[in-house]
Amino acid sequence: MGDAGLLNVVLYLPVAGVVALIALPPKADARVRSISFAVMLLQFVLTAWLYARFDAGSAGLQFETRLPWIASWGVYYQIGLDGYNVLLVLLTAFLGPLVVAGAFSAIQKDVKLFYCMVFALQFAMLGTFLAQDLFLFYLFWETMLIPLFFIIGIWGGERRIYATFKFVLYTAFGSILMLAAVIYLVYSLNATTGVTSFAFADLYRSELPLSVQTWLLAAFALSFAIKVPIVPLHTWLPDAHVEAPTAGSVILAGVLLKMGTYGFMKLAFPLFPDATRLLAPVFQTLAVVSILYGACLALVQTDIKKIIAYSSISHLGYVMLGLVSLDIIGIQGAVLQMVSHGLVAGGLFLMVGMIYERCHTRDLAAYGGLAKLLPLYSVFFALLTLASIGLPTTSGFAGEFLVLLGAFRAAWPQYVQGAGYPLLLSASAVAGVVLGALYMLWFAQRFLFGAVKAPHQPFFDLNLREKAILGAIVLAVFALGLYPEEPLSKTELAAKQYQQLVAGNRTGTRVAAQPAPLPSAALAADKAEDAR
Amino acid sequence: MNWQDALTAMAPEHLLVAAIVVLIGLDILSRPTRGRLAVAIVAVTAACAAALLLALTGYASAPFPGQYSVAPIGSLGKAIVLVLAIPVLLMAEDESSQRAFPVLLLSSLYGACLLLSADSFLTLFLGLELLSLPVYPLVLLAFRRPESAEAALKYLVLGGTATATLLMGVALLYGGSGSLELATFANALGSKDTMPGVAVVLVLVAFFLKAAIVPFHAWAPDAYEGAAIPVTAYMATIVKAAVLLTAVRLFGMAPVTRPLSDLLAILPLVSIVWGNLAAMRQQSFRRMIAYSSIAHAGYLFYALLGAGPGRFQAVAFYVLAYGLMNVLAFASLPPDANDVARDRMDHLKGMFQRQPFAALMIGVAMLSLAGIPPFPGFVAKFLIFKNVMAAGYTVYAVAGLVGSYLGIYFYLRVIQYLFMSPGERSVGHVAPERLAIFASVICLLAALLLTVFPGWVIDQF
Repeated sequence: MGDAGLLNVVLYLPVAGVVALIALPPKADARVRSISFAVMLLQFVLTAWLYARFDAGSAGLQFETRLPWIASWGVYYQIGLDGYNVLLVLLTAFLGPLVVAGAFSAIQKDVKLFYCMVFALQFAMLGTFLAQDLFLFYLFWETMLIPLFFIIGIWGGERRIYATFKFVLYTAFGSILMLAAVIYLVYSLNATTGVTSFAFADLYRSELPLSVQTWLLAAFALSFAIKVPIVPLHTWLPDAHVEAPTAGSVILAGVLLKMGTYGFMKLAFPLFPDATRLLAPVFQTLAVVSILYGACLALVQTDIKKIIAYSSISHLGYVMLGLVSLDIIGIQGAVLQMVSHGLVAGGLFLMVGMIYERCHTRDLAAYGGLAKLLPLYSVFFALLTLASIGLPTTSGFAGEFLVLLGAFRAAWPQYVQGAGYPLLLSASAVAGVVLGALYMLWFAQRFLFGAVKAPHQPFFDLNLREKAILGAIVLAVFALGLYPEEPLSKTELAAKQYQQLVAGNRTGTRVAAQPAPLPSAALAADKAEDAR
Repeated sequence: MNWQDALTAMAPEHLLVAAIVVLIGLDILSRPTRGRLAVAIVAVTAACAAALLLALTGYASAPFPGQYSVAPIGSLGKAIVLVLAIPVLLMAEDESSQRAFPVLLLSSLYGACLLLSADSFLTLFLGLELLSLPVYPLVLLAFRRPESAEAALKYLVLGGTATATLLMGVALLYGGSGSLELATFANALGSKDTMPGVAVVLVLVAFFLKAAIVPFHAWAPDAYEGAAIPVTAYMATIVKAAVLLTAVRLFGMAPVTRPLSDLLAILPLVSIVWGNLAAMRQQSFRRMIAYSSIAHAGYLFYALLGAGPGRFQAVAFYVLAYGLMNVLAFASLPPDANDVARDRMDHLKGMFQRQPFAALMIGVAMLSLAGIPPFPGFVAKFLIFKNVMAAGYTVYAVAGLVGSYLGIYFYLRVIQYLFMSPGERSVGHVAPERLAIFASVICLLAALLLTVFPGWVIDQF
């Protein structure tokens, strides 16, 4: 079997997992857990193998599968790895077994249904990342809602029904407008070029008037911004995070939020470059507002989960800032920050889940001096806190630093030409780093140090399963912080392509070395011509 | 007229008539009631196979020129209507103990088949009446409950109004053109004169009444709630499918122009919004489905805004996906000694703990009806809005999509009851009937086919 086949195996393994679980007899919870874990682990191993074989030197799609699906509409089943999605796919596959293992003891009700839903979610998330056809992308994108609706609604906390409806209705509203925009986009493409195609590569070549681009960008951006979330649209996130079971929070913070930023990078900005350049100040402002406002909100929370939830808003603001900066360093930083946040926030949510299993409260005031009670737990917690702050040698540092560097590099020439606003924004974003250190350190101080207090003591420190989970995450955090070149080399060509698509020749002096003829787009377009 | 032609072309209809004759014969001989359902199911399956065969072989002929003709598209429409009838019959084991039930159902199906082959308003009228008249007594058959008499009467009166409106419209068309051919309607669509305009509106209003479009929808919630579950399923799927497919046949390839296109967009839009909003407040599953079907009728009429050639494809795929999912939900609803209690929303609570299969099936049906991918309802909705957008009605398409968003809440509320609410009832299980489970499985497999190979299915239309 070729690597393209292997990629399909990776995508459909969760479906096979669902089928395997359904075939099990009703009361076999232990077997359900071990089978789920085995399937997820296999998926990660296969993904890691594909990642290792991913050729950093080629800009196009790799391991591509392209089959006609709804031929009369020009819809293809087209999946593949490229620089945009390779790290995110790896992250999703990496978190999969950890999520499953993390829920072993927490989920005791309807175990089979739970793991079926986790598999369904994994399938939809991988599909969203891998899809190279807008119809397929939208299909997977919307499919993600259902399993998370179940996961929050069935296994969530007290206000789970409210939280899950809020999450779905919020997200679906953005999606429905995006659907309208998708249809409109495809028909404008058809009207101007005569090609009816949903393939990303073809859609990148559509040349729409600015007014149309602005409308379509607004629709796409609304949908993606709700997912990220960007500040005025963030109110679903704390509720969903707080009420979701640990597994749900980890997937939500680890992967789902990246769907929004991935959508901006892969679709919204490159598809509508003129409108993006026009609205760039708006996106920059919103990104910086998200960074600062999210950090301020995190500062005043008393619920442990909410602190991390709001910190996610702040951290994803950096991703947006990097993407909008259109500077190659900023873009690469944004990509790195996506992965880093997935690891760090995912790890922190797992740790919150672990303490919640022991003490059944998320109220920060109930805790104190855990460093004495749970030394090992505290070490891991401190490490992840530092990674979240962005201490050098951790992944958080590399991401945030590159984003800020990129933002300054993009803002400086504008400042020289007399436009000071971008520079002001970039400078404000730096304040977010300080605020980030403030809320996380204050949190850790109250949580780990001070007078010893905790409900239900004495209790046990981490068991072997928990050690293994956290060990894997911390290892990945440091690996990414110490050797960011390796993953970044795989995304570099995609970042350049993104920059080229959005910026046109605005920053041509810097990318002149690679005129970037977009081999992927040209190749896919040729194929589309042949197919017709 | 060639006899062989008439025999082949009308094979689906003949099979239905044959089954009706056999059933009446069985009644006269007063045999036990057991075999009746089997006869009806075999006949409908055979008729469906015949229609499908006619469609796939590309058979076309006009055994009664000017009145009745068969073309592959019409046969395909018949096949869709008949294939939806199979699971409806399968879940009707209780109802079939009443002697009239299978005969009435088959007569109504005969009317649906006639409609999809009609070439003149005479045949169309015959088909429409044959489709609806048996449904009035079918609603009444659940006369264990006083509401069903009221529901049947309301349905009868409003059905009669629809008939009268249609006849007035047809009379005006005849007065203007001197012909009863269906094509006069398509011609009148393009006309700027008052008389054809009024005629078109009257005919359209009749179809709105039959398909329950706001403000002509008031009968639907009562009739759906008053009828027994299989009859509700029949009304919500087959009657609606037949009416809409006929509307497509009536419109032909004619484009819809300005004043009429507004009527054709605004009333369905209001239906979508109102149906979805009103469904949120319902406490009875059947009533909720009634309002949901009002919204779905709105999407279906939207399809007529699209360009001529795509209309049949959009409507056919939609009624198939929508019908299968509606029937799936009704077939999976666990039986109950008390027919009214069977579908109270409160009784759905915690069903996953008691009957996981039923809960999962209803959940799938709800998600598909809400148009959430990957279920077939999404592709169906996409197809319709794609056509509307391609025809240039961007604002209406966006408004319709936003209207469809309103529906997500109440479909998900059903799922909340099924999976997330604690069960309140500790009633002893009534074991679901085997045939009903079989019906659910058929629907599920068909839906799976639509999900995995939508392109292949669409290409058949």
